Amino acid sequence: MRSENELIKLLNRDLNLLSFKKLRKQNISIRFENEELVSGLNYLKSQNYIHLATISCVDWIEDNQFELIYQLFSYEDKISLSVKTRINRKTSKFVTIKNLWGVAKYYERDIHDFFGIKFTGNDNMDELILENWNEIPPMRKDFKTRQYVDKKYDWRQYHGQE
Amino acid sequence: MILNIFGFLLMAFSAMALGLLFIGIARKVVARVQKRIGPPFYQAYLDVFKLFTKNSITHGFIFDFGAIMAFGGMITTLFFVPVGPFVLYGMNGTLLLVIYLMAVAYLGMAMATVGSGNPLASVGISRALTQMLGYELPFIVVLLTLIYSSNTSSIIGIVQTQQSGFMNWNLINIPIGTAVAFVTLLGLMGKKPFDAPIAPSEIASGPVVEHGGKYLAFIMLQHAVSVVVKTALFVDLFLGGGNNIFIFIVKMLIVWLLVTLIGSIFPRFKVEEGVLFYWRWPLIAALLQAVIIIF
Amino acid sequence: MNNKYESNKWQEVINWVQTRSLFMLHYCTGCGAIELPPTMTSRYDMSRFGIGPAATPRQADILLITGYLSTKTLRRVIYTYEQMQNPKFVMGFGSCTINGGMYWDSYNTIKQLDKYIPVDLYIAGCMPRPEAILEGFLKLKEKIETGSADGYKRYNKEYEKYKKNQEKVLGEVKRRQ
Repeated sequence: MRSENELIKLLNRDLNLLSFKKLRKQNISIRFENEELVSGLNYLKSQNYIHLATISCVDWIEDNQFELIYQLFSYEDKISLSVKTRINRKTSKFVTIKNLWGVAKYYERDIHDFFGIKFTGNDNMDELILENWNEIPPMRKDFKTRQYVDKKYDWRQYHGQE
Repeated sequence: MILNIFGFLLMAFSAMALGLLFIGIARKVVARVQKRIGPPFYQAYLDVFKLFTKNSITHGFIFDFGAIMAFGGMITTLFFVPVGPFVLYGMNGTLLLVIYLMAVAYLGMAMATVGSGNPLASVGISRALTQMLGYELPFIVVLLTLIYSSNTSSIIGIVQTQQSGFMNWNLINIPIGTAVAFVTLLGLMGKKPFDAPIAPSEIASGPVVEHGGKYLAFIMLQHAVSVVVKTALFVDLFLGGGNNIFIFIVKMLIVWLLVTLIGSIFPRFKVEEGVLFYWRWPLIAALLQAVIIIF
Repeated sequence: MNNKYESNKWQEVINWVQTRSLFMLHYCTGCGAIELPPTMTSRYDMSRFGIGPAATPRQADILLITGYLSTKTLRRVIYTYEQMQNPKFVMGFGSCTINGGMYWDSYNTIKQLDKYIPVDLYIAGCMPRPEAILEGFLKLKEKIETGSADGYKRYNKEYEKYKKNQEKVLGEVKRRQ
């Protein structure tokens, strides 16, 4: 069982981290370049970070970037690790990690539903949660929710309302 | 001839009425056990009446035929079971005949299941038939013991051997066998520890999942008749039957209330657990009783 | 004339029985589902009014929509509603079914349930307490007895209108019996 500081030391020695941050107890976030993410995840998996809890995504519209966050957990270290990387918002393409964790197929489909990011290597990009969606993906910051709702649904008319 | 048909019809309709009353009483009793007020005792009549006024949808000829076969099979079983002084058939061998006729209702339900094509219904009916395999083994052993000890295989004959007093009842003569038969009665009726076939919360009421409206009403009537048939059979075999219809109904009600009370406090067995349960202690007890009676 | 009078009397008997025996199917997607166990069990005990839970849509009389519906669940609700047998009634439950409630500006939550399936009765609140649910059931009984709970007739009559509204939010709705 490693402590947080030992783990950071180890990662700094073996990997080429952009930055790291100890968020709180048993919770560390590290940042990679795009190209090094898969090899980094591969290394972490060999270091007992075998549980991929989820993949999440943040839309940084002002930086023109998407941030992908891979949440890993080790049952031996009892540390959860947020592995982050930023990709270009325009192209919105990244590589799949379904060969490392089979479950990633579904997380990637989910992200494709809501952010429209394509994962090369993952062929099945059908709609997972949405149905018959033909607007821009709804979780992008430039999706105007109110406008869409006004267009698609009717507001209830109450008596005495203008 | 006409009179005969009239008798059959009267018996069928009064059995339905009595069965629905029993079901209503059982719902009230279960409600009181759970500290509820519960529906009125005539709720089952209202349910059946309402279901007959609803629209219903068929799933093809086999579905219709299965529903009729389930209902008709149960009514036919009723004619071979003496209810108090009303005995339509008294020949030798009715006991074994009744056991086989009871399976006809299940087969009818299985047919309706095939017609509807619903997977939950198939799961339910396969559970019902598997469970039948479980409870029939100890039940048959007890019945053979009974036939051996009373020297007849007609139900009315067994009733006649228990006349003239409380001490002649099979309850006193073969007590372990009675207990085993009571446990198998729970399975026969699909009551609570053994209600995996109709489990409403996991397989959505099993075989009747596609029955709506009038079809469900027929299934409810079939259930009502089956309550009467099975309690009457138990009273005939072990509690001395009865010449007086009122005494007979009181005995039936006591058996039914016991079944209901036991059913209202138990959770549900998985189907393989139910079968294994029946093949363990009830079977051993039934064999023990057979050995005691024969030697 | 005479015949019509008799059939009305018969209809009154049918209505009277229907008010006293209602099988309820609860569609539990929203948070309202948590209010139903106390309504069914010993504290409030709705079975004393003859209302009981049904296992499948084929057996049910009331469809109880407990809370918000996303467009994806609306499709399933329509399938469920069309599987039920006439006469059938729908109760909308909580403010989400009335005007979207706290999901008023959500892109995938419908705002008015009665545009897609005919609703006989709404229970307001977020969430309604079990007392409110029982009150709603009693009101529904009154409506059935007077014959004004005719949502299923409206659905048959104005089917095109409902279908148009459904297809506006869902795209194509495949109908299977």
